[in-house]
Parts: sequence; structure tokens; C-alpha cells
Amino acid sequence: MSTLTPALRGDVITGIAVTLVGAVYYTATFWIQGTKNIVTPATFPAIVGIALIVLGLFLLGQALYRSRKLAEVVPAGAASAGSASVSGGAASAGIANGEASTDASEGVVDVEPEGIVIDAPDEPKSKQVVLQFALFFIYLGILIPVGFLLATAAFLMTMTSIYAPHRWVRNLIFSVLFAVIIYVAFVYGLGVYLPVGILG
Amino acid sequence: MDTLIDLGGGFASALEPLSLAFALLGVLLGTVVGVLPGIGPISAIAILIPVSFGMEPVHGLILLCGIYYGSMYGGSITATLIKTPGEVASAVTAIEGYEMARRGRGKAALATAAIGSFLAGTLAIIGLTFLSPVLVKLANVFGSTEYFLLMATALLLASTMSSGSRAKALISIFIGLAVGLVGLDFQTGLPRQTFGMSLLSDGIDFTIFAMALFAIPEAIRNLASGRGAKDVIQSFGDDKWMTKQDWQRSAMPWARGSVLGFIIGILPGVGPSLASFMSYIMEKRISKRKSEFGHGAIEGVAGPEAANNAGVGGAMIPLFSLGIPGSATTALLLFVFTMYGLQPGPLIFRDESGLIWTIIASMYIGNVALIILNLPLVGVFVKLLKMPKEILFSSILVLVAIGAYAIEFSLFGLMLLGIFGVIGYLMDKGGIPLAPSILALVLVPLLEDNFRRMLQISGGSFMPLLTRPVSLSIIVLMILGIVGPIIFRWWVRRRQLLADVSVA
Repeated sequence: MSTLTPALRGDVITGIAVTLVGAVYYTATFWIQGTKNIVTPATFPAIVGIALIVLGLFLLGQALYRSRKLAEVVPAGAASAGSASVSGGAASAGIANGEASTDASEGVVDVEPEGIVIDAPDEPKSKQVVLQFALFFIYLGILIPVGFLLATAAFLMTMTSIYAPHRWVRNLIFSVLFAVIIYVAFVYGLGVYLPVGILG
Repeated sequence: MDTLIDLGGGFASALEPLSLAFALLGVLLGTVVGVLPGIGPISAIAILIPVSFGMEPVHGLILLCGIYYGSMYGGSITATLIKTPGEVASAVTAIEGYEMARRGRGKAALATAAIGSFLAGTLAIIGLTFLSPVLVKLANVFGSTEYFLLMATALLLASTMSSGSRAKALISIFIGLAVGLVGLDFQTGLPRQTFGMSLLSDGIDFTIFAMALFAIPEAIRNLASGRGAKDVIQSFGDDKWMTKQDWQRSAMPWARGSVLGFIIGILPGVGPSLASFMSYIMEKRISKRKSEFGHGAIEGVAGPEAANNAGVGGAMIPLFSLGIPGSATTALLLFVFTMYGLQPGPLIFRDESGLIWTIIASMYIGNVALIILNLPLVGVFVKLLKMPKEILFSSILVLVAIGAYAIEFSLFGLMLLGIFGVIGYLMDKGGIPLAPSILALVLVPLLEDNFRRMLQISGGSFMPLLTRPVSLSIIVLMILGIVGPIIFRWWVRRRQLLADVSVA
């Protein structure tokens, strides 16, 4: 398993997750009341559940197969590197091993049909992502009881201040103004009544 | 002749002050939202659907169609000036357009994109005007077998045509189907896949799902990545607009892009993104200035931008005349139709002919508005690029929360939004494309309904798929559609190899 590159490890995790989701989804079809029709209400959900299981297993298998293929490529690369620097010993072979595995993985994984490369955005730290989601859920949770104006101003202030703490004056002005303008626009302009909460 | 009379009637009502105002507003709003980095047409429409809730159907639809092509053009501004494509369709503009801007040709790039979009967009709408009635007549012989087949084809093509892993695109489709099946069964009224939660028996709202998938992951990713890499905005203050040579070099790519984009757009399940990619590859191949590609070749902006917008018009044809969306974005539009209690398809041309022709006429107007507004106003739109990330993306989170609230008026709706936001983020992280699942979610009810009817009529046999002449022809076309690209790719690669050999 040491040859699992990040991309392949991602596929393994995705594959397992999709399989599990499919299994749960399929199991849930057992609770659908049966009917005498040719196509029962459970037919389509069952097809979808099974398809998810199959696709998840396929992704998992594909990733494991590719990592095994990598494992076959890597020792060969490491061996040649090792023989080139006999005095280097285990350490240099280890480094060469690492390099060879990334090179090989690019060769195997990149099967994009045409040569147009789109820059992928930088992946943020997962801790930050969890924090942002947590704050968003808190906002969603307090929106109705606290009311749109207060909850939104507080949420915007928090989000912008985490990102740019030194610009708190601007953040505060923006948060309050945005909440008020949106509230007025939706309630008086579009007739969508937003929760008033504790201000009401 | 009937078509022209219908269209004339459409223009008469599309030119009424209020309709005209909504067309202009839509184009403007679409451009503004489309310019915002990281927001493409799908996210723009998803975020703005709640705005149309209280409107007259015709105004809401005019507005959202305007938003659609406005946001496409807005996306190309962003792609040209900061190389952040809002969606796949403008990814190629991000290559050539950005390189042009770096070389002080930003204005020319934006102009060729705008003019190409206008020409191609208008040609495609002319195609839409005259092809839709023909397709509507054809659709009269379509039964549930054909409809089922067409929708299955749309989903299959959507999975094969997207870039990246096909298995993952299929997973995305089945996730969309899985979400779409939650709730009461239409035919029997029995609850399905609700996991015992009565709140889920109404099903999962499409807008909530679309907003969650297309706005939240992008917003959270940007907010979480913190300060650091700042986008470099290319300025173009004293650039020249298009020179005579630019016009000459753009003309043919516009024409080729229009035709290619239109044809690809009509295919079910294949959106404009593929059109712009294919146009780029084609222009690069036939160009005498191959070495300029990747370094700011104007053909590489003119062709794909034209193809992109012709694709939008093309994709409207199966949507209007058959009720089958060709892409995630048209799936959103289909949803908006059904939200107003309208079902696109042959019947809408008969029962709501005034409405549908008004919308088609407003598309002509929207395209004209786009070019009148956008070239002079481009300086204003560029200012939007300077909007700080934290302000932009936290505002978007608030807007989708309002949207979800306006749909369900409950905590449950808000929580669904958050949960699908997390799911969307995880899908994105696992490399599963998001767009196919939107298409699938919209198609589930129709797909299942026609599947049931087909089997009910045939007594459980799948034979009608092969014995009905119309359905058999669709199957043949479908096989060609799947084998065709493989052969095309093989042919391209072979040509490439031969070219490499001849150079060596």
C-alpha cells in the first residue's frame, strides 16, 4: 500500500464511500411497500443503489489495480537508481524510490484525452474547511430564531474577520449594510419575507 | 410562414416595456454575477432562481435566460483578465484570452469574444426558431419508449463527454438519481427512501440541491484557503480594440465555432463546454499560426467563444421542443419552467405558444443587449474583479441561505442546504463532477415515469426499444454518438502522430 499516491488514495476512499452509500440506499428500498405493478416503486431506487455499489467497487478496484501496477514499475526504477550509485546505499535508493513513484503515477493516472490543462485551485487545510462549514451551519441554525438581520450581520462579520482581521471597520460596515440592503430588497422588493426573529 | 407569424407575435410582447426591462436586467445581472471569479452560469442561475419566485412566468423565464447568456459573457471577461474560468466552457478562453491580455491585447480578446458570442448566439437562436417547430412535429410520433431512450441517452452522453474519469461522472449521475427518488412516489403515493423522516416525503428541492452543490463548495474552499495567492488582474487601459487583421483572423473561427457549437448543443446531454473545447482543438489544428496558440492567438478566443454561445442556443432546442435538457444549465431552466407549472415539450408550443415565442424573441433582444451593454461597460465589470474574496464568498453563502429559506420556510430546508453543501464539497474533493448529478436530478421523474409506461404498455418487455422504428433509429444514432467521439479521438491522435513524424 506504500505505493498509493494521493490521487489513488483519494479514489480508494471515494470508492469505499460510494459503495457504502449505495449499500445503505439499496437497503432502504426494503422498506418501500410492495405493489403488484410490473415496475414497483422500489424498482428504480434498487437499480440506483446497486449501480452505486458497482461503481464504487469499480473505482476501488481500479485504484488498487493501478497502485499494483505502480508497485511493479517502482522497484525496477529504484533498482536502476540503486545500481547507479552503489555507495549511496539504502538512503539514496529510498529517495529515488519516491521520485520514481511520483513519475510513474503521473504516467499512469493522467489519461486526459486532450492537452488542455486547467489549473487546479490550491487545496485549503481541512481544519479550516471544517471551521467554515461549522460557522455556516451555526448561521443556518440561528437564522430563524435570531432573525435574518442580526444573524446575517454577525455571520458576515465573523467570516470576513477570520479572513481579514485587520480590516474590521470595513468588515463591520459591509456586514451591517449588506444585511440591511438584502433584507429591504427581498422583503419590500420581491415580497419574500425573511425571518425577523428577536427583533420582531 | 407560421413560424414567422408566431415569432412576430413573440416580438410584440417581448418588446413590451416590462419584458424588455427584464431581458436587459437579466443580461446585466448575469454579466455581473458571471464576472465574479469562480461563479459560472450554473451557479449564477442557481443563486438567482429565488429572485424569480414571485414573478410572472414569462418575466421570470426571460430574466433567467438573460442571466444565462449574460453570465456566459461575464465568465469570459474573468477568464481573460484573471484566468479564473467560472466553468469549463470558458476554460479555453482562460488560456488564449489571458495570454492576449498579458500581451496588451485584452480589449481585442474581449471584443472578439463579445462579437463572436453575439453572432453565434443570434445564429443559434435563428436555428432554434426554425428547427423547434420541426422537432415538435417529429415529437408527435414519440412515445414513452422514445422519451425514456432520449433521457437515458442524455445521461449517458453527459457521463462520457465530461472530462476526467467516466466512472466518476456516472457516480455523479447516480447520486443525482438517488437524491431525486427520495420522497413520495408519483404513481402510488408511497414514501420512498425517506429513512423514516416524514419531512423528506416532499422530496429534496431541486434549487436547494443546485445551490448547495454549485455555490457552497466553491465559497467554502475560497474562504478556507485564506489570504495568500492574490489573483493578478490584467489591465487594459490603453489597449486598442480589434484591428483590421483581428477582424480577418476572427471571421472564420466565428463561423466555424457557430456551426460546431450549434450542432453539439443540440445533442442531448452535451453542453456548450464540449463545444468550446472542440472548437479550440479544431482552430489549433487548421491554423497556419500553430505556434501562436498558447501565446495569445485570437482564433483561440473567437472560435470557442462563438461555439460556446451557439451551444447555448442549440441546447435550448431539445429543451423547448422535447422537454429534455441537454446540460446542467438547461436542466436548471427546465426546473424553472416546471416551477411555474409549465412543461416544455410539444404541448407547450400548442398551449402556451404566446409564452414560448415571447421567450424566443426575448433571446434575440438579449443578445443585442449583451453586445450594446457589454463592450462599453466592460470597464465597470472589471472593477468587480477587485472585490475582496471574503466579501464575495460570504455574501454568496448568505444569498443561498435566503434562497433555501424562501423555498421551504423551515429550519429543515436550511439544514438540507448545509448538508448538501458538505456532500458537494466531498464529491468535488473526490473528483466527482457536480454538473451531471443536476441533470440527473431533473430527469428522474420523467425518466422513471416513461420507463414505467413503456413496460406497462409492453407488459414488461424491453422489445419495443428495438421494434419501434423511431426508437431503433435513436439507438443507432446513440451508438454512433458514443463510438463517433472515440473514432474522432483516435483519428486526432493518429494525425498528431503523423504530424510529429513528418516534423521529425
